[in-house]
Amino acid sequence: MEPSSQPQPMMGVGSQPYPAAAPYVPVPGSLAVPPGSQPAAAFPNPTQLSAQHQMVYQQAQQFHQQLQQQQEQQLREFWTTQMDEIKQANDFKIHTLPLARIKKIMKADEDVRMISAEAPVVFAKACEVFILELTLRSWMHTEENKRRTLQKNDIAAAITRTDIYDFLVDIIPRDEMKEEGLGHNPIVGLPPAMGAPADHGSHPYYYVPAQQVQGAGMMYGGQQGHPVTYMWQTPQGQAAEPPEEEQQQSA
Amino acid sequence: MDSSFLPAGADNGSAGGANNGGGAAQQAPPIREQDRLMPIANVIRIMRRVLPAHAKISDDAKETIQECVSEYISFITGEANERCQREQRKTITAEDVLWAMSRLGFDDYVEPLSVYLHRYREFEGEARGVGLAPAPPRGDHHHHHHSVPPSMLNKSRGPGSGAVMLPHHHHHDMHASMYGGAVPPPPHHGFLMPHPQGGHYLPYPYEPTSYGGEHALASGYYGGAAYAPGNNGGSGDGSGGSASHAPPGGSGGGFDHPHTFAYK
Repeated sequence: MEPSSQPQPMMGVGSQPYPAAAPYVPVPGSLAVPPGSQPAAAFPNPTQLSAQHQMVYQQAQQFHQQLQQQQEQQLREFWTTQMDEIKQANDFKIHTLPLARIKKIMKADEDVRMISAEAPVVFAKACEVFILELTLRSWMHTEENKRRTLQKNDIAAAITRTDIYDFLVDIIPRDEMKEEGLGHNPIVGLPPAMGAPADHGSHPYYYVPAQQVQGAGMMYGGQQGHPVTYMWQTPQGQAAEPPEEEQQQSA
Repeated sequence: MDSSFLPAGADNGSAGGANNGGGAAQQAPPIREQDRLMPIANVIRIMRRVLPAHAKISDDAKETIQECVSEYISFITGEANERCQREQRKTITAEDVLWAMSRLGFDDYVEPLSVYLHRYREFEGEARGVGLAPAPPRGDHHHHHHSVPPSMLNKSRGPGSGAVMLPHHHHHDMHASMYGGAVPPPPHHGFLMPHPQGGHYLPYPYEPTSYGGEHALASGYYGGAAYAPGNNGGSGDGSGGSASHAPPGGSGGGFDHPHTFAYK
C-alpha cells in the first residue's frame, strides 16, 4: 500500500486540490530556476511553492476542470439522446447491425448452446450504443490534440481512461497506450506572459490520469505484495521522463 | 412462470437446430474471418452519427472499432452464458444479456435497453395481434409463435417478463440525477445478488490472456473523460479494481478496494 500513497500527498493548494497532480507542480519551477539549484528527482515541500507556481497550477487546474465538465456534459447529453431515440423507436424490423452476424459471434464460444430470438435484437441496439459511446470518448481525445482525424491512438486513449473498457486492453498495442500519454498538446488560451512555463507545466499534469489508471489496475490485479510494488515502479519511471527531457532542453 | 418460457424454448430449439445445420455445412473453421467482425459500413455509419461533419476516421480506427464490437459481444455473451449454466438453462435470453451488462459495469446501458426490449415486445405483440406475418429479419431470424389474442399474450408474458425484468431496473445513486423522474427500484428477487462482488462467482471460462481470468465490477471511471454526475460523491462505497491489467490467469477473484484515486 505504501507505493500507492506516494503519488497522492495531501496538499491544500487551490479550492479543489487534485492530489494526483500535485507532485508534478514543481516541473514549471525547473524552467524558472537554474536546474543545478535543486535536485532533479526531488519534489519540494508544498509550502515552498512560490506564488507564481501556485498561479500556474491553479490555471492548469481550472482548465482541466472546465475540460472535464464539458466532456461530462457531452456524455450526459449522449445518454439522454439515446433514451429519447429508444423511446421514439417505431420500426423494429430494421437493425443497424445484422442479427445473423451477432448470432455467429455469440456462438463462436462453443459453450454457448441456444440463443433466444430477442438476445441478438438487444445486442444490436447495445452494440450501436457501444460504438457511439466509444467513438464519442475517442473523439474527445482527438479534439484535445487539435486534430480532425480520429485515429487508433484516440481509441486507445478512450480505452485507457474508461474503466468499463478494460476488457479491450488487449486489442490495442502498448505503444498506442504510451502514445496516448505522451501525445498531449500544450494548453491554449493561457496569458501570453505565462505561455512558456504553462505550456511545459501542463504536459505532465495531463499525463497523470493515464498513469493512475494503469497503476490502479496493476495494484488491484496483482494481489501480491512484491509484484504490485514492482509494477507500481514502472509508471513512476515513465512519469519522471518528461521533467528530464525538459531539463535537458533548458540546459 | 414455466409456461411463459415454453414458447421461447420451442422457438429457440428450431432456431438452434437450423443454425447448427448451417454450421455443419460450412467450412472446417466454425467462424470465418469475415463473419468474426461487424460489417465495416454499418460501423462507420454509426460512428458518424456522433461525430461532427468535418471529422475524418482513419482506416486503422475503423478496424479497431470493429474489433472492439466483436470483443464486446463475446465479453457480454460469456458472462450471460455463465449465468445460464449456473441456473442449468440452455438458452441465453435477452434478460441474461442485460444482467451481464449490469454485472460487467455497463450500468448505463441497462435502462435504455430495457425500454428498447419492452417496446420491441410490444411491436411483436401488435404484429401477431393484427394477424400479419412479421417479415423474417435478416434471413435466419424466424418466429414460430402461433397467433395469440393480445389480451392472452399480455397475460402470458406479463408475469414472466415482469419477474425477470424488475431487478434490472435498479440504479446506482450516481445515476439517479441523470433520470430525475425514475421510480425507486423495486425490491430485488431472491435469485439475484443485490451487490455481486468479484470473489463470489466462478472463474471466467475464456482463456485468461483474453480477459485477465477474472471479473471485476468497475463502477467508476478514471481520467479526464470520467463520467461523474453531480452526486457522484454519494457512490463512495468503493469500486472493484481493473482485473484486465492482471497477469494472465490472475490469482483469485477481484476484490473490493477503497477508491483512493478519485478526483473530486
